[in-house]
Amino acid sequence: MTEPVHGLRGNPLRDVRDRRLPRVPDPCALVVFGVTGDLARKKLIPAVYDLGNRGLLPPGFALLGFARRDWDHGVFESLAREAAEKGSRTGFREDVWRRIADSIKFVPGSFDDDAAFDNLSETLIELEESHGIAGNAAFYLSIPPAMFPVVLKQMQRTGMADNAERCGWRRVVVEKPFGHDLASSRELNDLVDDVFTAQDVFRIDHYLGKETVQNLMALRFANTLFEPVWNGNFVDSVQITMAEDVGIGTRAGFYDNAGAARDVLQNHVLQLLALTAMEEPVAFDAEAIRTEKTKVLGAISLPADPEHYAIRGQYDQGWLGGERVASYLDEKDVPAGSRTETYAAVRLGVETRRWAGVPFYLRTGKRLPRRVTEIAVVFKRAPHLPFSKTDTEELGHNQLVVRVQPDEGITLRFGSKVPGSSMEVRDVSMDFLYGESFTESSPEAYERLLLDVLLGDATLFPRNEEVEHSWRVIDPLEEFWAGSKPELYRAGEWGPAGADEMLARDGRVWRRP
Amino acid sequence: MTTTLWDTNGTEIVQTLSRERRAAGAIASGLALTLVVVVDEKSVAEAQAAATTAAAAHPCRLLIVVRRRMDTDDRLDAEVQVGGHLGANECVVMRMYGRLTLHAESVVLPLLAPDAPVVTWWYGAAPERLAHDALGVLASRRITDCRAAEDPRAELKRRAKDYAPGDTDLAWTRATPWRALLASAFDDSQSAPTSAQVSAEPDNPSAPLLAGWLMARLGVRAKLVDSEGPGVTAVEVKFEDKGRVRIERRDGHMATLSRTGRPDRTLPLKRRDLGDLIAEELRRLDADQPYAEALQAATRTKGLNERPGKRTHVWKDPEPVTSTRRAGTKKTASKRTAGKPARAKANR
Repeated sequence: MTEPVHGLRGNPLRDVRDRRLPRVPDPCALVVFGVTGDLARKKLIPAVYDLGNRGLLPPGFALLGFARRDWDHGVFESLAREAAEKGSRTGFREDVWRRIADSIKFVPGSFDDDAAFDNLSETLIELEESHGIAGNAAFYLSIPPAMFPVVLKQMQRTGMADNAERCGWRRVVVEKPFGHDLASSRELNDLVDDVFTAQDVFRIDHYLGKETVQNLMALRFANTLFEPVWNGNFVDSVQITMAEDVGIGTRAGFYDNAGAARDVLQNHVLQLLALTAMEEPVAFDAEAIRTEKTKVLGAISLPADPEHYAIRGQYDQGWLGGERVASYLDEKDVPAGSRTETYAAVRLGVETRRWAGVPFYLRTGKRLPRRVTEIAVVFKRAPHLPFSKTDTEELGHNQLVVRVQPDEGITLRFGSKVPGSSMEVRDVSMDFLYGESFTESSPEAYERLLLDVLLGDATLFPRNEEVEHSWRVIDPLEEFWAGSKPELYRAGEWGPAGADEMLARDGRVWRRP
Repeated sequence: MTTTLWDTNGTEIVQTLSRERRAAGAIASGLALTLVVVVDEKSVAEAQAAATTAAAAHPCRLLIVVRRRMDTDDRLDAEVQVGGHLGANECVVMRMYGRLTLHAESVVLPLLAPDAPVVTWWYGAAPERLAHDALGVLASRRITDCRAAEDPRAELKRRAKDYAPGDTDLAWTRATPWRALLASAFDDSQSAPTSAQVSAEPDNPSAPLLAGWLMARLGVRAKLVDSEGPGVTAVEVKFEDKGRVRIERRDGHMATLSRTGRPDRTLPLKRRDLGDLIAEELRRLDADQPYAEALQAATRTKGLNERPGKRTHVWKDPEPVTSTRRAGTKKTASKRTAGKPARAKANR
C-alpha cells in the first residue's frame, strides 16, 4: 500500500495528477428568475441537462424556477423537459432527465410579492434537507435589468443572498446589458454589491465561454511563435468584426433604446479586444487575467475626430441570402423615424508601449451578409522586397485571423510563390480548423459558464471595473452620435459606405470575413 | 471516398493517402495524433466506428492494422479513406498476410503523421509483453483492454508486470465515472475512512483497479466481492464515525448514492460505449500516474511509476521460418479479391 497523497480541497480522492476526474461543483441549488423566458428555455435548461448528462452536476443539486405563472411543479417540469429535449447537445436520455426532474422545483409569484419570496426562501431551506444542497445557491437573474432592484431587495429582505446566514456560498449571475451607460451601470453594480459581495457576482458574457476565445490565450501565451510579433513593431492594425445576418427580430423594445454600440460593442467586441491586446497574465487565474484585461480596457483611447472614425449605420431594406428583408424602420414595434444604429464601426487606440500607433478597427452590425465573428491581426508588409514590383502585386499583408464563429479556428495568410517558371508571389491562406467535428462535442458556451459559476471560477467573467472601462469608451461615442442620423446601408451589404471610407482614409480596407 | 489497393506496398499507400488528401482539400488540417489500431478482421467495423467517434474530439490519422493468417504468402491489401463519413479525419485499413504480419511497423512507420504523438490500441488481447509488438514500441501511449483477455483479472497482473509509463487500460477508463462520483461524494466528508469494498462480476477487471485506487488514495484495505453484475455493481466506504458512503448500480445505467445522514440520490452512471472510452484515452497523452498507483495496489507490485517510459522492441517469432519456405513468393500470387484471400498454399 502506498502512502496516501494529500488530496485537493481536503478530499483524498482528488489528485492534481488525476485529470480524468471532471471538475464537479459542491452540492448546490441553481435558482433561475425569469425561468419562462427565451434564454432560460433555449440555453439554461438545456445547459443544465447537458451538464447532468456529462456527469458534471454534484450529487446534491436542485434547479429552482421562479416566474409569474400559475404553475405547479408538473407543468414546469414538462416545459423544462421539452426545452431540454429540443436544446440539448448531448442527446436526450429519459433516465438522465428523470434524475434532473427529481430536482426541479417551481415557485410561482411576481417579483413584488413578499409571500412568494418567503416561499422561495423556505423552499431553498427545505431543499437543504431533502436534496442535500448544503446551503449553496447560485441565483441566475434572467430578467430585464429594470426588475433587478426589486428582486435584489427581496433577496436581501429574506436573507437569501447572505453567505454567512446560510452557511454556504451564494452567488448571483447577471446577464448583459450591464446598464446603458457608466452612471446606470454603477448604479446597478452598487445595488448588486449591496446584496452580494463583489466576488460572488458573475457577469455573463457568453462570448468568453467559447472555446476559440479561450484558445486565443493558449495561442498567445503557450507558444513562442506569435508573442514576439504581437506588438506595434510588426502589427499594422487589428480588425475585430462581429457580424450578424439576422435583423432585430422581436427585440425592438429593447434594441431601439440600446443600439449596436451598447448591445454588442460595449461587451462582446471590447472583451475580444481586451483578450487580443492584453499583456501576459502572471498566472492563469481569474485575478491575474482580469487584472490584465482591466489594464488594457483602461488604456483604450478614442479617436480625436469622431466624425471620421466613429461611424454608425442603420439597415435599409434589401436582399439577404436570396430573400427580401425589411428595413430597420419597418421592423415590428420600431418607432417611426428611429435614429438607433444597427451598425457601428470605430477606430480605437490602445495607449501602451506594445500597441502605440496601432489602430484597432471594431465593427458590428445586423443584416450583414453572414454571421461571423473574427479577430484579424494584420501585419506590416516586409520592409524590403527583393522581388520586382510586378512579382508581388498580389501580395498583401500577412494576417493571423482568429475565427471565433462559425468554423472556429485560425487562419494564417502569407505570400507564396505561384508555381511556374516566373517568380510571382500571391497570398495564400492556411486554415487550422478547430476540428470541424470538434465543435459539436465542445461544450456550449452557457454550459461551460454555468459550470464555472457553480465551481466559483471567475476566470471567464468580466469584473466590474472592466464593465466600467467599457462604458467609458462607449459613452463619449453615444454622446457624439446623439442627435445625428445613422447612415443607411442596404441589408445584405457589409455596412455603410462611411465605414469603408474610414479605412480608406488610413490607406486600409476591411477584410472580407 | 475510399480507394482500395490490392497486393500493394507501403509506398503506394503513402502516395494514395497524399493524393486523396489533396483531392479532399485537406491540404492543412489540425491533425493532433496518429492512432494505430491493432484488430482482428471480425472487429474491424466496430473498432473503426469507435475510433471515428473518438476522432471527432481529437482529429487524428487512423491506421488500422489487421494481421491475418501467417501461414500464407506475404501480402498487403489496403483501403485508404479520406473525409466522407469520417469527417475531417483520414483512415487507412491495412490487411497483412504471411510474415509481413510480424513486420507491420514497416508499413506503418512512413504513414505516421509527422511529429505527432502516436497512440497504439490493441482492440483484442494484447501481446504478453507490449515490446513484442513493434507497433507498441513506436507509440508514446499504449491502450490495452484487459476485458478482451481470457482471464481479465490475471491479465491485470501481466499488465502490471509489463507496465511502463504511457500504458493504460480500458478497464481503468471504465472506472472513471465511478471514481468521479466517489470523489464528489467525498467532497464534503470530514471523517477518516476505515475500509472499502467493491462488488462486481467475478472476472471484472475494473473492480480490482477501483479497489486499488481506493487503497492507494485512502490508505485503507479494499475488499473485492463477487456479484451478478453487470460490470461493477457497488462501491462502499466506511468511516471512523460509523458513517458510510455507498454507490450501488444494478442495471448498468443509474446509480443510487447513499450516505449516512443524508437522503439517497439517484444519479446517471452509465456504462459507456467504446468510442467514449477511446475519446477519454486520447484526451491526455502523458503517463497516467494514478493508474499506475491503482494498478500496483491492485496487483501488489511496486515502483511502476519509476520504470522507464521507453520500450525497446523484443523480437519474438511465433512461427520461425523453416528452410522449406521459399523466398520471394509474393509475386507468385495473382491479384485476389478482398476478404477472400486465396487458400494458403502449404509453403511451410
